[in-house]
Amino acid sequence: MRIFEPKAMNLPIEAYQKKVRKRTRILSFLLTVWAIGIFFRLVDLQVFLHPGFKAQVAKQNQDRTKILPERGTIYDRNGKILARSLPVPSLFYSPPSEESFELQMKTIRRLETTLGLSAKDVERIKARLQKRSSFAWIKRKVDAATAERIMALGLNGVSSRAEPKRFYPQGTLAAHVLGGVDIDDKGQGGIELAYDEVLRGKEGEVLILRDVKRREYYSEVLKEPHSGNDITLTIDENIQYITQRELGKAVLENRADWATAIVSRPDSGEILAMASCPGFDPNVYPPSPEEEVNRATRFNYEPGSTFKIVTASAALENRAVGLNDIFDCSEGLIAVPGSPIRDHKRFGLLTFPQAVVHSSNVGMILVGQRLDPDAFYRLIQAFGFGRRTGLDLPAEEAGRLMPPEKWSRRSLPALSIGYEISATAIQILQAINIIANRGLLIRPKIVSAVEGSTAVGLKEPAPPVPVISEKTAVTLIKILEQVVLEGTGQAARINGYAAAGKTGTTQKIDPELKRYSSSKHIASFVGFVPVERPAISVIVVLDDPQKADHYGGQIAAPVFREISYQVLRYLRVNPQKELMKAALVTNPGREGDR
Amino acid sequence: MVHKKYTKKQIAVGVLASLGTIVILTFYLWHITENIRLGYEIGRCENSLQTLREEVKKLEAKKAALLSLERIEKIAKERLGLAEPKEGQVIYEDF
Repeated sequence: MRIFEPKAMNLPIEAYQKKVRKRTRILSFLLTVWAIGIFFRLVDLQVFLHPGFKAQVAKQNQDRTKILPERGTIYDRNGKILARSLPVPSLFYSPPSEESFELQMKTIRRLETTLGLSAKDVERIKARLQKRSSFAWIKRKVDAATAERIMALGLNGVSSRAEPKRFYPQGTLAAHVLGGVDIDDKGQGGIELAYDEVLRGKEGEVLILRDVKRREYYSEVLKEPHSGNDITLTIDENIQYITQRELGKAVLENRADWATAIVSRPDSGEILAMASCPGFDPNVYPPSPEEEVNRATRFNYEPGSTFKIVTASAALENRAVGLNDIFDCSEGLIAVPGSPIRDHKRFGLLTFPQAVVHSSNVGMILVGQRLDPDAFYRLIQAFGFGRRTGLDLPAEEAGRLMPPEKWSRRSLPALSIGYEISATAIQILQAINIIANRGLLIRPKIVSAVEGSTAVGLKEPAPPVPVISEKTAVTLIKILEQVVLEGTGQAARINGYAAAGKTGTTQKIDPELKRYSSSKHIASFVGFVPVERPAISVIVVLDDPQKADHYGGQIAAPVFREISYQVLRYLRVNPQKELMKAALVTNPGREGDR
Repeated sequence: MVHKKYTKKQIAVGVLASLGTIVILTFYLWHITENIRLGYEIGRCENSLQTLREEVKKLEAKKAALLSLERIEKIAKERLGLAEPKEGQVIYEDF
C-alpha cells in the first residue's frame, strides 16, 4: 500500500498538495541551512584555520633542515691536501617528554664512561635539561665506531647527526701557516682565520617531506648552500717538510728556545715554506700559546748584522762610500754615546766590502756615520721595515722603526748594525729579496689561488717597486757572495752553487738586568742561491742557542746550507759545472759534501 | 513503471566509458604511487651519491695522510733501510 498517496492519507487532493509543498519547503530550508553551514565551515577550515592546520601538517610530515656548507679545502702549490673537512658523527640528546628529569639524567650518566664525558660536560647537559631544552649536545665530533657503539645501545632520545670536522692529513706540516679551527669549524689562526669567510661558505636549506614512518619521500632545496672556496697556497709540501725537519734538528742540536725559517722565491715573492719551532698538530687545536705563535711573522727582534745589508745599500745608493774606501777597525771597538760598541775581534784596516764580509760592527758604524739620517731612514722604510709586508696571515707584526726626530745620538750607529730597530723574519727576507731581485721590492705572498662556487678574487699583487738601483744591488750581491765564500757565512757554502747571504748575531736584552745580555743571543742567516738567477731565498733564525757556538755563521748558516741544498735538488736546479769542479779540486772525493 | 530500453550501441558506449574511466583512474593512481616510489628511489640514490662523494673525500684525505713525507721517510729509513744519498751518489742531468 502506498501510504503517501492522497487516498491512503484520506485527504482531499488540494490539502495533500499543500502538505507536500509545505514539507518540500521545510526540507529545502533545512538543506539550504545545512549547505550554508557546510560552506561556512569550509571557509573556516580553508581560510581562517588554514595556517594552523598547515603548520600542523608541516610539523608532522615536513622538515626544514639547514644544509651545512662544506668548508673549503686547503691545498699546497702542487694540489696536495693540507686541510679538508669531513663529516663525522656528533651525538645529541632530545629528552623524551614522557620521561622524568631523573630518568633523563640516568641516560646521560650511562654514557659518561663510554664517551669519557667530563663532570663539566655532564653539568652542561644537566643545565640544559633543567631548562627543559629539547636539544643538548652530548659529545660532538666523535669517531664513527664510538657513535655506532652508542647508537647500538638504543637509548631513548640519544641520536647522532653528521657534522664536518677539519682534518689536517699531514699533521704538524705547515701548522703555523694553516692555523686551526674551533669545534664549530670557524677559523682561529693562520690561513683558516685569515680566509675564514672564503673557506666557510654559506648555509642552505632543504625541505624534506616524510611519510608516517618518517621516511623521506620528497626533498626540495629551498636555498642552495654555497660550499666554501678551496684555497691553494704557494707552500710546497716537500720544501715545507725539508725546512721543518732541518729546523727541528737545529733546535735540538743547539738547544735553542725557538726557531723559525722561511723559504721563498725572490722573483715572485711566493713563500715556499714557513716553519716555526716549537710546532703543533692542528688536528688537536688549540695548542699552547707558546706553540701557536708563528714566529716568522709575529715575532719582532733586533736583526743585528743581517740588517747591515740595508746599511750597505744606503751607503752605496747615496754614494757615501766607495768600494776601495778604507775603514780603521784596528781598535776592535768604537766610541759612541753610551757604552762603546765592539767587534768580536780586531780586524785592522778593512775596505767597505771587507767590513760587510767580516761583519765588522766598527766598520759598519763608520759607514753609517757617513749617511744622512733622513736618507737612511727613507731607505729603511723603502725596504719595508716598520710596516707589515701584507702577507695573508693574521696578526702580522709591523716591527718598530723610530723616525729620525726621535733618534738619540746613539741611534745612527746602533741602526747601522741592526739595533734600535725591530723586525720580523719575513721583513728581513723581503729585504734580501730586494737585493736578489736587483733592487725591486716584490711583496711576499702565501695564497696563490681561490677557487669555488662563489667568486672571490684575490687582491691584486702590488707591482714591483724599485728600492735601490740595479747597480747598487749587483755590487751588493758580489759582496754578499764573498760573505759566504770567505766571510762570516762560510758555513752556508753549498758545493756547486754560488750563494750570497749575511749572518746575524743579536744580543738579547736581559729582562732582569734591562741591558744587553752577553749570554743570550739570536743567531740568524739570510741569503739566496744561486747568485746569478736566484731560485730560492732562505732565512733561518734561532733564539737563545745554548751551545758555546752562538754566532749566526756557526749555527744558522749550516741550517741555510742544509735547507738550500735539499731544496735546490728537489727543484732540479743543477749545480754549476765550474763551481762543482772547483769544489772537487778543493775537496777531492767530497762531491756531495755541502 | 516503464523501463527505458538501451540499444546495444548505447550499452557499448557506456561500458567503454566506464572502462575508460577505470583505466584513467587506475593510471592516475599508478602514476601517484610510481611518483612516490621514484621519490624514495631518488632520495636513496642521492643519499648514496652523497655518501660516495664523502667516501671519496675521506679516501683522498686518508691517501694524503698515508703519503705524508714524515711517514714515508720513517718507513724508508726504519723499515726499508734506505738512507740519504752519500757523497758522489747524486748524478745531475746535463752535467
